[in-house]
Amino acid sequence: MNIHTQPQRTPAETALIDAFGDRLSLLPGDGAVMLKRDDAIEAIKHGLPTRRIESWHYTDLRRLLSVVPDFDPTAMAKVFAPIVEGSAVLPVLNGKSDVKVPVLDGVTVQSLSEKLVDGSIAPGLDPYGSDDAIGALNTAFVADGYFVDIADGTELEKPIELQNVQAGGQTHVRLAVRVGAGAKAVIVERQAGDGAALVSSVSQLVLGEGAEVTWLIVQEQPETATHLAQFKAHIGKNAKLTLFVMNAGGKLVRQEVMVKTTGEGADFKLRGINLLAGDTHGDVTMVLDHAVPHTTSTEVIRNVVTGKARGVFQGRINVHQYAQKTNAKMACNTLLLSDDGEFSTKPELEIFADDVVCGHGATVTEIDHDHLFYLMARGVDEKSARGLLVKAFVAEVIEELDDETIVEALEARLDEWFVTHG
Amino acid sequence: MPAVQDTIDRVRKIDVDQYKYGFQTEIAVDKAPKGLSEDIIRFISAKKDEPSWMLEWRLEAYRRWLTLDEPTWARVHYPKIDFQDIYYYAAPKSTPGPSSLSDVDPELLKVYEKLGIPLREQEILAGVQKTDASDLEEPSDNVYKSGRVAVDAVFDSVSVVTTFKKELAQAGVIFCSISEAIREHPELVRKYLGSVVPTSDNFYATLNSAVFTDGSFVFVPKGVRCPMELSTYFRMNEKNTGQFERTLIIAEEGAYVSYLEGCTAPQRDENQLHAAVVELVALDDAEIKYSTVQNWYPGDAEGKGGIYNFVTKRGDCRGDRSKISWTQVETGSAITWKYPSCILRGDDSSGEFYSIAVSNGYQQVDSGTKMIHLGKNTSSRIISKGIAAGFSQNTYRGQVSAHRKATNARNFTNCDSLLIGDQCGAHTVPYMEAKNSTAQFEHEATTSKISEDQKFYVMQRGIPEEEAIALIVNGFVKDVIQQLPMEFAVEAQKLIGISLEGSVG
Repeated sequence: MNIHTQPQRTPAETALIDAFGDRLSLLPGDGAVMLKRDDAIEAIKHGLPTRRIESWHYTDLRRLLSVVPDFDPTAMAKVFAPIVEGSAVLPVLNGKSDVKVPVLDGVTVQSLSEKLVDGSIAPGLDPYGSDDAIGALNTAFVADGYFVDIADGTELEKPIELQNVQAGGQTHVRLAVRVGAGAKAVIVERQAGDGAALVSSVSQLVLGEGAEVTWLIVQEQPETATHLAQFKAHIGKNAKLTLFVMNAGGKLVRQEVMVKTTGEGADFKLRGINLLAGDTHGDVTMVLDHAVPHTTSTEVIRNVVTGKARGVFQGRINVHQYAQKTNAKMACNTLLLSDDGEFSTKPELEIFADDVVCGHGATVTEIDHDHLFYLMARGVDEKSARGLLVKAFVAEVIEELDDETIVEALEARLDEWFVTHG
Repeated sequence: MPAVQDTIDRVRKIDVDQYKYGFQTEIAVDKAPKGLSEDIIRFISAKKDEPSWMLEWRLEAYRRWLTLDEPTWARVHYPKIDFQDIYYYAAPKSTPGPSSLSDVDPELLKVYEKLGIPLREQEILAGVQKTDASDLEEPSDNVYKSGRVAVDAVFDSVSVVTTFKKELAQAGVIFCSISEAIREHPELVRKYLGSVVPTSDNFYATLNSAVFTDGSFVFVPKGVRCPMELSTYFRMNEKNTGQFERTLIIAEEGAYVSYLEGCTAPQRDENQLHAAVVELVALDDAEIKYSTVQNWYPGDAEGKGGIYNFVTKRGDCRGDRSKISWTQVETGSAITWKYPSCILRGDDSSGEFYSIAVSNGYQQVDSGTKMIHLGKNTSSRIISKGIAAGFSQNTYRGQVSAHRKATNARNFTNCDSLLIGDQCGAHTVPYMEAKNSTAQFEHEATTSKISEDQKFYVMQRGIPEEEAIALIVNGFVKDVIQQLPMEFAVEAQKLIGISLEGSVG
């Protein structure tokens, strides 16, 4: 129970604090940026969040983060072929952005280190709140990434793929994107690599009036990596954001999604697939703020848990007092396929306006025996029948994305996961 | 729908801050000094003539309590409570131990009359007289007829009267105040007290363990179906007192009992604390049905005064095929912090939670349930209806969990919230934790206001707006009302109507 205890610093906490001291002189930015970094490391000095912190209830970071690897500036990381052919690739390799980036009409690309040096990114470095450990960790250590500005009215034909490729050690990256009024874009955020790394990655997206963006997060870290990521977005008037998250790797993974509708008519769609196998701990935490009237959102999360994996989905929909006529729906469905696996979910509604229609549903179950019987009665063996049903369960979410090339590309990633994890 | 018409009539008559039960009764009172210390606990224990093991138990809880922090995770806000500014013991002076209703202070009886509780209702009164007159007779058949309710009335800290005791005793049922049980059935109390809610459970439960002054005790022996509804009425009367009652209900193998609880308190400007603990134990094949209509004083229209209701209620389905069902109608209290839970330990056991939480004015409700599936083939069902009006905040917080060995655990949860007015808030915070692949959990929640279409449909048939809303609200909570015993269902519907006055239309 809540007996007073004097917390002792864990080895991971000590390692982070020491690393900050060592890295300090190498981190870009001074003045305002430096102040933010100092505040952030102060927050870490107070201790990583435990299950006593409500938003970390199912992911006790203090306990789970046991090892913090050292920075390894010499490690090499290689660019991946993009998920969708022909995409413009902006790679961050072992925490460093590439100087030679493709030139696209209407798109301005800057390395984030430039923005840190000139201090213009400083206001965006504030963590979300006192429990925002990922924000604090990233703010303290972030050294590079990209700032992408898509000009008003630009319609990109091919996706932009932001690749964060780690090579072991620590990687702290920030990807900031501004999409101007009426612009249209598909952005892929690829999180991968091949080391026992600690990765923190924060993506920031601002959508201008009437902009339309599909943002795909594809996380395929190796089974040794700790991946702590945050996606933050502001959706302007009549703008539409479709966020697709696919988690298919990592040892300890937390993907936070913090979205706010800031203009009337804004629409947000979240589609998520969490494929959890082996000894993975995978957590998707969403906080959605409906801050203005007449905005809509739907969220569908599908989870598959096998092996000894532990899955978490927390989703909170906040409807502010003046956000009348909000329409928000959230569903979280989980297939729990092994007795050693576990899944916890907390779908919250926090509603301060009366003229709203909000709902959520959540289920946790195993494969429907009737469905299995149906297939097996037709001569499909049990293993294949199960595979078919599980795949159909998650593929349904992918198929909702209208772009065929994207659907095909994601289904290919899905197939790959099923091949490795059977 | 006569009840609905009745609700509307009541609503018209009473303003939001005209709390119906806001009278105060002038009765001589025996009080312990203000504040909390080991001496106060010794004083309470001595007053109650308790055995030494009980005092030790209390002191241990108190020492534990000193090491705990007040919980802050609930969505309720209130100024810090000064635990040294509360009287922990207040007993009506004139009734050291009433043997029958006629011995009870008439002032007290008047209180209950004002409350309209069944204690003095005609048929029951007749029943009491009959029992008194025919002490030595065999129990008559009408004991088993429905519609009669045995009542234990708890006034501030002390149980003042328990009716129908003799008839119940003939059926083998023990129904008395807990202090009496500690004296007369120490072996039962010692065996079960704290076995569901341990002394170290949480801040308020620990405080209760240290200072609880009275409450009800029910023991239904093996194979007995309790012949009548059992009921307790709690009332906080004295100024600056806290009420800490403790209820313990045990249903042995194959037993059945239905228990009702009602609460009121006078209208005061300051806040009063109520920290109760309820423990239910159901052995093999036993069933306990626990219904609450909670109507503590909610504070006035500006949010001044009212009861802080911090209650720990937990049922333990200890035996196979046992069942515990909680039904609650929460309309009162400035702050409610209450999570009646079921521990489904026995194989094939089941738990139910039906709740209506109505908040108006500046009330804050944070209530829900916990269903902990431990045994095999256990099932649970949660139906929660929250109605928020005025400036109130209404939160459902519930947990459903299936442990590794809880194969075939099954849960269905439905929580709906209705918002009336744009200054209030409705929140849903469910926790679902599955550690077993055969678990099947379903959860659904919605939040909305009364739809214009529904209102139009009703009004178009000539029903005025206010009545239309009352009708729709009553329809909204119907699933839960149906679970209440008949006598309570009517009262609950009236209460909901009264609670919502000032917000409708």
